[in-house]
Parts: sequence; C-alpha cells; structure tokens
Amino acid sequence: MAGLSIKDARKHFGTTEVLKGVSIDVADGEFTVIVGPSGCGKSTLLRSVAGLEELTNGRIRIGDRDVTGLAPSERGIAMVFQSYALYPHLTVYENMAFALRIAKADKVAIDAAVRRAAAILNIEPLLDRKPAALSGGQRQRVAIGRAIVRQPQIFLFDEPLSNLDADLRVRMRYEFAELHRQLGTTTLYVTHDQVEAMTLADRIIVMRDGRIEQVGTPRELYARPANIFVAQFLGTPRMNILAATMAENGRATLAGGRSIALPSLTTPQPAGTPLSIGIRPEDIAIGEAPGALPFTISFIERLGGLATLHLGGREGEEPVACQLRDDGSLEEGDTVAASFASGHLHLFDSTGEVLETTGK
Amino acid sequence: MSLRRWSVTLLAALVALVTIAPLIWMVSVSLMARGEAAQFPPPLWPTSPTLENYRLLFGSFGVGRFLLNSILISTLATGLALLFTIPAGYAFAKLRFKGRDATFRLLVAALVVPGQIGMLPLFLELKAMGLVNSYAGALVPWLAGIFGIFLVRQYCLSIPDEMLEAARIDGASEGQILRRIVLPVLAPIIVTLALYVFLSSWNDFMWPLIILADQDLYTLPVALAAHSRQNVQDYEIMMAGAVVTTLPVLILFLALQRYYLSELLTGSVKG
Repeated sequence: MAGLSIKDARKHFGTTEVLKGVSIDVADGEFTVIVGPSGCGKSTLLRSVAGLEELTNGRIRIGDRDVTGLAPSERGIAMVFQSYALYPHLTVYENMAFALRIAKADKVAIDAAVRRAAAILNIEPLLDRKPAALSGGQRQRVAIGRAIVRQPQIFLFDEPLSNLDADLRVRMRYEFAELHRQLGTTTLYVTHDQVEAMTLADRIIVMRDGRIEQVGTPRELYARPANIFVAQFLGTPRMNILAATMAENGRATLAGGRSIALPSLTTPQPAGTPLSIGIRPEDIAIGEAPGALPFTISFIERLGGLATLHLGGREGEEPVACQLRDDGSLEEGDTVAASFASGHLHLFDSTGEVLETTGK
Repeated sequence: MSLRRWSVTLLAALVALVTIAPLIWMVSVSLMARGEAAQFPPPLWPTSPTLENYRLLFGSFGVGRFLLNSILISTLATGLALLFTIPAGYAFAKLRFKGRDATFRLLVAALVVPGQIGMLPLFLELKAMGLVNSYAGALVPWLAGIFGIFLVRQYCLSIPDEMLEAARIDGASEGQILRRIVLPVLAPIIVTLALYVFLSSWNDFMWPLIILADQDLYTLPVALAAHSRQNVQDYEIMMAGAVVTTLPVLILFLALQRYYLSELLTGSVKG
C-alpha cells in the first residue's frame, strides 16, 4: 500500500483546460472520494493517475515513486470502470487471471490469487461463467475482483455504481465500505453522486470546472462548506440560499424586507454589504417562536416518514425548502411560522465564499 | 397458419426456386452425355447420368491444376487481406495518431473509384516490380482492401475504449491487446471478411486475366473462359467446369453462414 500525491496537475484537450492546477494528497489506506458535476475534470484526474491520460503539467507520486511518465501497468494501480470493462470472451476466472497471465505469473500463484479474490467477493460459483451470463451487480463484483487480484497499491474507481439500479447501488455501497475495511488499500473513488461520497469517504474532494473547491471529511464539508457551490452540492434537499444585505445590530435584511438575526462574524461587515444566507432544510424549525417569520406552504413532497415543505415568503424572496417529520397535520396553502436559528446559518459574501462566524 | 403467412411462404419458395433453378440445371447438364444439352427443347434431366464430363475436365483439360491455383490464390489472398486489414481497421478506430481521420477519409473517398480504373496503373507498377505473370502479382490487389478496412473499423468502434484501457492497466502490450482481446471480439466480422475476400478472389476474372500470361498459372474462371472460347459448343463440359468453380465456395458459404448471418443480424441490431 502507499499514499498518493498529485502536484499542480494540469491537462489541456486542445485549447480547453480541463484540469487547472490540481494538488491532492491521499494518505496511505485512506478512502478518498472525488465528487463534482459532469465535466468538472474528476474523471480526467483519475485517468491521469491511472496513466490513461498524459498530464500537460504536474507530477504524480505513488508511495515514494514518481509515476508521472510510467505506463498504466507500471504504476501499481488497479482501476474499476463504470462499464465494468470485462473481457466478454473470457470466463470470470480468465478475466480475473488476465493481468497475472500477461505478467507470466506462476499458475499455482494465479489460481490462489483468483480464488482468494473470488472468496472475498463471494463470486466463487461464477468463476466458469462468461460476463454475458452475469447480472449487473455480479459483473461489478468481477471487475472489483480483477482489481483485487493485481494486489495494487491504489484502487481507482470511476463511477462504479452509476450503471446499477437504486437498490443494488445501496447494497454495493455497503460492500465497498466493507471491502475497504477488509483490505485497507488506498482508494481514489470518483462519483457525481453526493450520497456515495458522503457515505463512503474518509475524505471528500469537491471539484468544479477543473479546480478543487474544498477538501475535508464528509462531516466537515457538510457542516462548514467553503462556498455556496459546496454548500449546495452536498445534502438533499440542497441548502437554501437567500439573498440579503447586512443591517445594524448583527442582523440582515432579506430581499423581501424582513429581518433575521445573524451569527457573529469573525470579520464584521459594514451595513449595506450584500451577502447570501444559507440554511439547510432540516435546520429550519416550524412553529411559533421569537423571531419566526410567516411563510405559506406552496407544495408538500411527502416521502413517508419525512416531508419537504416548499415555502413561499414575501415577494422578492426565494422559495425555501424545509424538511421535517411528517405528521400529516400540514396542508398546501397553510401559513406557518419558520425559525432560522442563527447557529444554523451559513453566510457567504457576494462572490459566494464563506464568511467565517464565531462558534463554528 | 393464416392466409397471409401462406402467401409469404409461397412467395419465398418461388423466389428460392427461381434462384436455385439455374444451379440445379447446371449440375444436371454437367451429368449429361456430350451433345445432349444442345437438343431443342433442352432436357431438364440427363437421360443416363454420366461423370464423363468431369473425367474429361480433370483428365485432358487438366482442370485440377487451375483448381489448385484458385485455391492457392484465394487462400493466400484471404490470409494476407486479414493480416493487413484487421490491424489497419483497428488502428483507424482505436489508436490515436496524427492524420488518422484525414487518411481514413481519403481511403473512404477512394471507395467510389471503380476498381477497373486502377488496373492499368497497378499493372504498370507491378510490371516495373517484375511481378507480372506471378502469383504475387495476382495477390497484390487483395492485400488491404479499403472496404475490409472500413468494415473492421466500423465494428471496432463498437468495442468500448474502457475494455482496451483495462487491458493496458492489466499490462497487455498493444500487440497482446489486438491478439488476446480484440481478435476474439472481432470473430464474427473476421469470418464475414474472410468469406467476402475468398469469394471475391475466387470469382475474380479480370485481374488474373490481365496479370497472368502463363497458362499454368491460370485460375479457374480464366481457364474456363479460355476453354469456352475454344469449345463453345461443349455445354456439358462447360457446366461441369462451372460446378467445379461454384461448388467449393458454395460449400464454404453454407458451412460458415451461421457466423455470417449472425454478424449481419448483429449489425442490424446495433444499427
């Protein structure tokens, strides 16, 4: 096993710069998830680590080796692709043994490695089958098995669950976590699904437009997002963002003219400064309380145990989503009082960067 | 069975009959006695079937030599065409190199030029190379047909890049990827292409006629044409010659039609 270090990775495709100076350090044994919207450069970064793309600039180290110019097979990595990329004419056994056979490994050693990996993934009964005779989940397991057999220093996963249905995704997520606990291999995992990122990662790297927006543990990123993009990317329903201006006495005025109390800022801002106020849907409290504001329920999404209320405020204010336990007492058209506790508020400046508050 | 299905079956049977009738009559005439087919109206079946025409064909006419020439040239043409066409088609589809798409467009544009137009310059080139009147000269046009390259390239495009990348990560060289991953996946198209080249080179008349001067080097179609000019009245022998020419490729086609047809169907599903 080994850690991974990427320094100032840049990649151009023609005149388009896909990676704009990305630097990452992944500790030995860490499960790191790169998450971001389509086209943010996360897959290009992963493919560069694998050696499938050549960086325009920058260095990649795996353990104590600089692997920047090495062929994929010499980097000590194994990769699992979104489409599984199994060899269709070979059996599961042959698929898993392929790399070792190419390396002209001893037959007994190959057999032991394949059977060990098959045992870990519970695919021993499938070894004689061809990929066409397997279900999506089984194919994904074989793809992982093929990676395990190589005993890599780093596992690379490129959206491995995207082709599976919702149920299987949940199960495979659990299996990935279990597998990582069992093997302890350093893992770099790319996904656009924030739920996968939150549930699997030791650390999350959020990317946008070829740059890293924020790096941290899932809890850190959720509780202290560095900017509006990260704040809204993680969490479902996403964080509410309300346009406001700073007022006197530690308060802000919303676009509709109503006033709410803010947490105290580390660097106080003068009155009249435009800012954005973020609050997660589950942090809004419904019910009469000092400072609560009246809202009208425009739409209710009932999810069984939970309900998401879509609240309309005054003219000029953005609609607000609020999530709460559904007791069936609220109806569309009702007027409710909603409290925005200052301790739950996230403040962002006019460029979308977070304004540090005391007590966080 | 509904009336509609009956009529479709009947129509298909009729079309099959019309198609196969000349072939059956060809075999029938080849078994007739000399002069029997020249009667009017021509008989459908031989009154007393005989193999005399085949004996003459392989005896005094020496068709065995031409049959061997045809087998040799068609087999070599098929082997060489596959050897050059498959890597070329694969490279045009999956490898990144400068000028790839421009070169491919140029090749495809050349498809619209009739083959006959290239025959004279090709002949002059081969003459300069000293390959006229040789098996090598007869083989040259088959080395890397553009249609074959196009066919392989189009099929290769359906191979996922990720599969090849997985093989690269697994440590396979480009040659190993072609041999161990791509070729097995290409099996249906290889059979199709091999059949196409074999049939085309087997039936080819014009190029062997131009390039081969020595009678010993003649292929079956050229030899039969030369023979028919001398023995234009010998329908029975001519038909025996036609059977000898047609039968091997017919058997080959029937033996491989399972793969050939499956490929055609795959192509239609994939669009």
